[in-house]
Amino acid sequence: MLSLRTTNCVLKVLKTARNEQSFHRWLAPTLRELKRRKDSQGPEKPVHRKSFLEWNYDSEIYAFSKRLGEDFNNDLLLKAFTERSYIIDEEEKQKSVGIEQPTLNLIDNKELVAKGSEFIDDIVKRYLRTVLPRLPEEGIIELHKYLTSVETLSHVSYHIGTPELILCADFPVEKLTMANVLKSIIAALIESSGENRAAIFVRDFILTQIADKDLLQFWDLQHPIKLLSDILARDNIQSPEPRLVGCSGKNTILACFRVGLYTPHNKQIIGLGVGETVDIAHEMAAIDGLRQLFGTPENILFPYNLELEQLCASTDKNLSVNEWSQKNLPVQPTNFELHQVKMTSSC
Amino acid sequence: MSQFGRVKQWNTFARCWHLFDATWQNPLQCSPLIEKYLKGLHKPIYHPFVDCGDHVVIMNSKQIAFPGEEWRRRVYFHHTGYSGGASWTPAWELHEKDPTMIFRKAVYHYMKGNLFRRVVMERLHIYPDSNVPEEIMENITNQIQPLRPIPKTLDSYSNEEIEKYPKIIDYPQDYLLSK
Repeated sequence: MLSLRTTNCVLKVLKTARNEQSFHRWLAPTLRELKRRKDSQGPEKPVHRKSFLEWNYDSEIYAFSKRLGEDFNNDLLLKAFTERSYIIDEEEKQKSVGIEQPTLNLIDNKELVAKGSEFIDDIVKRYLRTVLPRLPEEGIIELHKYLTSVETLSHVSYHIGTPELILCADFPVEKLTMANVLKSIIAALIESSGENRAAIFVRDFILTQIADKDLLQFWDLQHPIKLLSDILARDNIQSPEPRLVGCSGKNTILACFRVGLYTPHNKQIIGLGVGETVDIAHEMAAIDGLRQLFGTPENILFPYNLELEQLCASTDKNLSVNEWSQKNLPVQPTNFELHQVKMTSSC
Repeated sequence: MSQFGRVKQWNTFARCWHLFDATWQNPLQCSPLIEKYLKGLHKPIYHPFVDCGDHVVIMNSKQIAFPGEEWRRRVYFHHTGYSGGASWTPAWELHEKDPTMIFRKAVYHYMKGNLFRRVVMERLHIYPDSNVPEEIMENITNQIQPLRPIPKTLDSYSNEEIEKYPKIIDYPQDYLLSK
C-alpha cells in the first residue's frame, strides 16, 4: 500500500508531465516553414500605392501642393502629372472592355513639359551668370548641363514625392518620366502663381543641387597648365613658375607632393596643388589657379536669396575661355555684394 | 568624387616621416611620444579604425640612457617553449647583442595589445647609429624634439676650450692633478 507521501510525489510528476513546457513547440518549425515558402517565391515585387484601399488621389494631389507651400491650380497640377502613356493605356483598357469610342477627360503634359523645360533652362543660365560673373561661358554651359540633366531632375522630382502621383504606364516610374513631370510641375506653377514664384521654386529645388559640389568637376578642363598660362599671357603676365612647396614620403608608394605656382614678376603664389606625383600636383595647382581666377573657390557660398528681377538678362553672356582676361571682365556686382543688397533690402 | 576631392583625400592621408634622435634619451619615457606619432594620435582625423599613422625613424639607439641601476636590474624574459627554456637577460646584455632591441621592446610593450599593434610597429624604423640609409633620410620631413637636453660631456671639451675656461685659483707648480 502506498503511503500518502509517495502518492503526492507521483501526482506531482504526473502534473509536471501534463503541462510540460511554457512555450509552443510547433511555433519555430511553422515560422521556419513559412520563411522557406516565402523565400522560394523570390523577392517581393514593388506595389503601387494606388492599389491600397485607402488611396485618395485628389487629396494626395492637394496635399502635394500644400507640402511644397505653393498654390497650384488643381486642374493644371493634374494635367502636369498625366503622361501620354497613361492615356493610351486607359483607352486600350476601355476598348478591351468593349467601349468603341473611349472618352477620357485627361490632357497629357506634353505642352507643359516643353514650357517648363524652356523656363528652367532660362532661369538656371541667368542665375549662374549672375552669381558667377567670372566663370567662362563654357563652364556655365557645363554646369547648366549638369543641373538640367535627367539624372539631377529625376533626383529632385523623386524626393519631392512625385513618383506615386504620376499617372503613367511604366512602374516603377522611369527617370525620364520623373524629370519630365518636374518640368511640367514648374510650368503649371508659372500658370498658377506667376513667373516670380516659379523662379523661386527653380532656385530652391534645382539650383541648390550645386551647393556643396566642386564646380570645376563638371567642366572637364583639358590642359589646365596651358590654359592658365594663355589666360595670364592676355594680361601680360609671364607663365607661372612651378615650385615644389613640400613633399612627404618621397621614396614610398604613398608619396605626396605639393606644388605651388608663382608669378615670375612679383613672386606671388597663384595656385597650390597636391598629388601623388609632381605632374599631377602641377596640374592640380593650375586648376586651383583657374579656380581663383574664375571666382569658384572650393568653399563658395551661393546667394540663394536672389529673385527673378535681380537676375541678369537672358541675352547677357559670360566671356568665352578663348577671350577671358582680367581686363575684359565686365563690371558686375559679385556674389557677396548681391547677398548684401538682398540682406539690407529685407531689413 | 571629383579630381580635386581625390587629391585632397590623398593629401589628408599622406604619411609623414619623423626623425627621432635617441641619444641620452630614456626609451621607457620616450615610448608614449613615439606611439603618438606611430598611431597618428596627433591628427584631427584620428580614429582607431582609420589607418592614419606616420613613420618614425629612430637613430642612435645605441646611445640610449637608463636611470640608476636600471641596466643591471631590468631583465628581459624569454622562453623557448621547451621545458627549462626560460632565460632572463639583463638590459646591458641585451643591448650588447642588439642595440635596437630595447627601444623596440619599450615601444611595443607600451602599446595596448591588439591586432593593430604589429602593423603599427612596422612603421617604426630603428638604427643603432646615425648611419641611416639615404633613401630613408630623403623621406623625412619632421624631427621630433627629444624629451631631455643632451648634456655636454667632459670628454667633448677641446683643449682650447679648457684653456680658455675661467679659473678661480692657480694650482701650485708641484700640485699633482692626475697621474
